Amino acid sequence: MNDFTIRPVGDRALTVEFENQVSRAVSQKVTALQDQLLSREIPGLGELVPTYRALLIHYDPLRIDPDELARTVSLAAGDLPPAASISGTVVEIPVLYGGEYGPDLEDVARAEDKAPEEIIRIHSGSDHYVYMLGFAPGHPYAARAEKPFSIRRRETPRLKVPGGSVGVQRDMSDIIPFEMPTGWNVIGTTPILVCDYRRENPFLLKAGDWIRHVPIDLSRFREIRRQAELGEYRCRRYERGSGR
Amino acid sequence: MNFLVESPGLLTTVQDGGRYGYERFGVSPSGPMDRHAFQIANILAGNRRCEGALEATILGPTLVFDGDGVIALTGADMGAALNGVPCPTWRAVAVYAGDRLTMGPARSGCRTYIAFCGGLDVPTVMGSRSTALQSRIGGYEGRKLAPGDTLAVRPAPLPQNLPARRAAPPPPYGGRVTVRVILGPQEDAFTAEGLDTFLTQPYTVSNDFSRMGYRLEGPVIRHREDGNILSDGMVTGAVQVPTSGRPIIMMADRQTVGGYTKIAAVISADLPLVGQCKAGDILRFRSVSLAEAHEALGRAEQELRDLERAVAAPACPEKTYRVTVNGTPYDVRIQRMK
Repeated sequence: MNDFTIRPVGDRALTVEFENQVSRAVSQKVTALQDQLLSREIPGLGELVPTYRALLIHYDPLRIDPDELARTVSLAAGDLPPAASISGTVVEIPVLYGGEYGPDLEDVARAEDKAPEEIIRIHSGSDHYVYMLGFAPGHPYAARAEKPFSIRRRETPRLKVPGGSVGVQRDMSDIIPFEMPTGWNVIGTTPILVCDYRRENPFLLKAGDWIRHVPIDLSRFREIRRQAELGEYRCRRYERGSGR
Repeated sequence: MNFLVESPGLLTTVQDGGRYGYERFGVSPSGPMDRHAFQIANILAGNRRCEGALEATILGPTLVFDGDGVIALTGADMGAALNGVPCPTWRAVAVYAGDRLTMGPARSGCRTYIAFCGGLDVPTVMGSRSTALQSRIGGYEGRKLAPGDTLAVRPAPLPQNLPARRAAPPPPYGGRVTVRVILGPQEDAFTAEGLDTFLTQPYTVSNDFSRMGYRLEGPVIRHREDGNILSDGMVTGAVQVPTSGRPIIMMADRQTVGGYTKIAAVISADLPLVGQCKAGDILRFRSVSLAEAHEALGRAEQELRDLERAVAAPACPEKTYRVTVNGTPYDVRIQRMK
């Protein structure tokens, strides 16, 4: 049994809310419900948008009755398969840390009272779970359970950071898809593209994936960036817990 | 047919029905701000409803055509003229090579749609021709039109029954507008007084209004605690109220998730009214049931279906006469209207 609430969101969407907390257990209910609904042919069902604790379900009111949809959703949400809590796909993201590629690494190190090398070791030393994508196309909100930082967002956001910037705040880590403002502390840059519209599925990540950051040096950064721009670079992917 | 953008106006973009299927990856739906007027423009021009068309904002563009075609203008009245002569709106209009369409500032409303028979020929990105300004994708090179741009219209057989291709214009846009909302999903985050404020007080559209959202000015809407939630999904028309108590209506280019409490969402049938508002217009909100919202949407849909049927009428008989005025011969085509 799961605790959940179904509420209307405007006249063409419903939200299914699980426990009001950020946790992998709750997030995995959200993605499990998403997968359940996607595996059925429900006429009039629109997009599904998973977030920390809620699944937003768009529908076409001209094709499906909202009460009928709510009943279907309620049955599915009450009977989710138990999640194997460590499963999921790990995507390896190469990151060049520090210097002009990670202008806030020194600040983060100072705030955490650690050497910059130790910050890099912590950030690249455990998998980050992708709770959701949003804010901008392909932009992940990911977090790790191990050794969270205490630093929060910058008091003054940077008005422009380049695409590929890897930002952190507390236990969270993100990747900026293209040049835009950010308030997160930029500690590195990845040479890969988190969204590449030339691909049939333009997005590198989805909710429920895991990110593993892999430190690289400048020459490797340039090599990967060149391959990525040609559309030839593929990130290493493996099932979590399968060993590497 | 192609056309040259002689002047682009303030913010003119290519929009189609919107970009769907990628919201879970963070991609906004985009699409027209006044979906109703947009669809009518396409139907009149002989297209499927959600074909790529232009959305002009506040000040319209000047376009020069290099071939023959059929266009239709709907939405805000921008005093359009074809070769200096007032151009009829809310009906299909023939244009010929060398014709120049000029538009000025919006007299009422905010957004005008220009649909072209055949639809605009721009590449699709993730299945859509809509311009997403923030992520710089779709439409014409992912941006608003600029002077000197040339856009192509896909070749299509032009409709011959132009006089039958007309729609009744809606009442004047903007000014004082009441829009219907469905409360929630976070209505519990507000005090009873806060909810009452939202549903009884007028809110003025501020200067900060865009395709992303409309910031409103008016009495502060009080929360029980604050305006923060764990970020969740968003719908177009959602009324976000951050801790400041100042509401923001999320529009077509909105983000896909948000971390502020949402007191309500504007119903689909009334979203076009918001899309036609601009700074200084005054909005009031009225809470309705889901059933009433769906009934209103059904009526708007029926109106479009009726229009689709009406424009499918066969062309009326036409006769051509050769008339000579002051020694110059003219071919004059005459078509019976009804």
